[in-house]
Amino acid sequence: MLAAGAIPVCLCGATNSTIPAAEAILPSNLCPLIKSSFGYIVSDSCSFFRNADLIVAETTCDGKKKMYELIAEKKPVHILELTQKVDEKEAFDHWLSEVRKLKRRLEETYAREITDDDLRSAIRIMNEERALLKEAFELGKEDPPVMTGLELSEIRYRLAGEAGHLEMLREFIKDGRKRKEEGRYAAPAGSPRILLTGCPTGQGTTKLIEVIEECGGVVVAQETCSGLKPLDLMVEEEGDPLEAIAKKYFRLPCSCMTPNRGRTELLERLASEYRADAVIDLVWQACHTFNVESYLIERYVRETLSMPYMKIETDYSDSDRERLKVRIQTLMEML
Amino acid sequence: MPFCGVDIGSRSIKIVLFDGSGVISSVVRNSGAAPAENARKAFHEALDSTGIRMEEIANVVATGYGRNYFKEADSVSSEILCHAKGIAHLFPSACTVLDIGGQDSKMIRLGADGRASNFVMNDRCAAGTGKFIEMVSMMLDIPLDEMGELTAGSSEVCEISSMCAVFAESEIIGLTQSGTPVDVILRGVFRSVAKRTLAMSGKVGLVPEVVFTGGVAKNAGVVRAIEKETGLSLMVPEEPQITGALGAAVIARAKA
Repeated sequence: MLAAGAIPVCLCGATNSTIPAAEAILPSNLCPLIKSSFGYIVSDSCSFFRNADLIVAETTCDGKKKMYELIAEKKPVHILELTQKVDEKEAFDHWLSEVRKLKRRLEETYAREITDDDLRSAIRIMNEERALLKEAFELGKEDPPVMTGLELSEIRYRLAGEAGHLEMLREFIKDGRKRKEEGRYAAPAGSPRILLTGCPTGQGTTKLIEVIEECGGVVVAQETCSGLKPLDLMVEEEGDPLEAIAKKYFRLPCSCMTPNRGRTELLERLASEYRADAVIDLVWQACHTFNVESYLIERYVRETLSMPYMKIETDYSDSDRERLKVRIQTLMEML
Repeated sequence: MPFCGVDIGSRSIKIVLFDGSGVISSVVRNSGAAPAENARKAFHEALDSTGIRMEEIANVVATGYGRNYFKEADSVSSEILCHAKGIAHLFPSACTVLDIGGQDSKMIRLGADGRASNFVMNDRCAAGTGKFIEMVSMMLDIPLDEMGELTAGSSEVCEISSMCAVFAESEIIGLTQSGTPVDVILRGVFRSVAKRTLAMSGKVGLVPEVVFTGGVAKNAGVVRAIEKETGLSLMVPEEPQITGALGAAVIARAKA
């Protein structure tokens, strides 16, 4: 999209307030991320959507996929069919053809050609953004922590590859280093260090991170799509650029992939690099793939990593905050 | 020197004064609309009834939903750990604690020295908790403390299949309309509580000996229903409502 001269904007909804509007159409026992995103659209309160030329969507979950059919009545939608068998060449080849089709769709939409050079320069910008985000998240490795998990969860931005955001990330990293030099810590030494895994959080849906930190813990790393998961691999800058892009996304260890071994490999690495004391698995209500996969993750964390594990299934509302506190505080006291 | 545990729960406040080996005095009051204020009153009632002055208390630990709002507390602790400690104090041989309170149910596995080694707690729904039984009590107009006796004797039971307390209510209305006897309905209610509770055991394991505590353990009908579903015999403390506060007092002694 950057290569086409367009501005990519993430439309993931992260507020509870748009959910009632969505529930007028969607079932209530659906993932809050889908309902929140759709709620923005049906209540016409998202200017990004209103001004968009094209909605680019993917098949990472069935709920989203069918929701896109509903928004296709309002805007042109292009669906990328993400194949899910990570080990199969045919699956990758199909995914690559989907990525190639998106390039053609963007060329038609903007009546221009997207050259390999355009793609390479977009890849460089996005790799730079990924590297900066990763460097910022790596402040979580400090012990005692210099940044709270809440601060770290706020460094993402809706617009991709935006120069102002990259500058803000550089400032954030500088600030973190300065805090370390001056010994200004975000939490006392010995605070329980939590590795958060599972569904993504967004600005407005940091309830669980807030509760963990109110109970004295620190979320030092997030193995989620809003954290380190998409930053683990860069897009290769050599070779066919579309193939490099396709490869990066195909290897993302999302719970929609099967089998999803990449997630446990990443968890093991992050648990040791960030010296985590416990793993907390966040499942948004009705996110079936993460919900089912949590059984495998619990077994892996407890048996292979020999670490305490807790699964939290919740939604965007604040109604269970006190109940979450009981569980999280117990875990903190048990560590 | 006395120690004090204060458990401010969703439905009731429990105060325990503890001398290091046994309970000196305990008070149970409703949480009401101003739980912090009611807890303070109950705390002073407990002191007055024993003649112990506040300055004499070595350490106060608060637990339960209101734990952070009880200003007299020296520290707070999670109610799950408090129930574990309280039960381990009363029943040194216990391996599993089942606690059903006003709005939560919890299953806790005890490790060495009475510490919780694993636990599971119900999600946001109050089905299968004290609140659910209280609702049935109001619907059928049967006082809570008469329910246990009413269901003794027979084993005739009906199916209550709704997982949701609100839907279970409409199911019960249907049963009363069709003339199902109240004791049969109650046994159905208690069995559904037992089944919901057992659904939690997969994660923690129901390893004997099992102690059943929390306000709902005072209901002999629920005790029987869980024993029947599990085939285990449950131990129930003399005063199941105060085990969280007792555990808080045990922790207060350790911290003093």
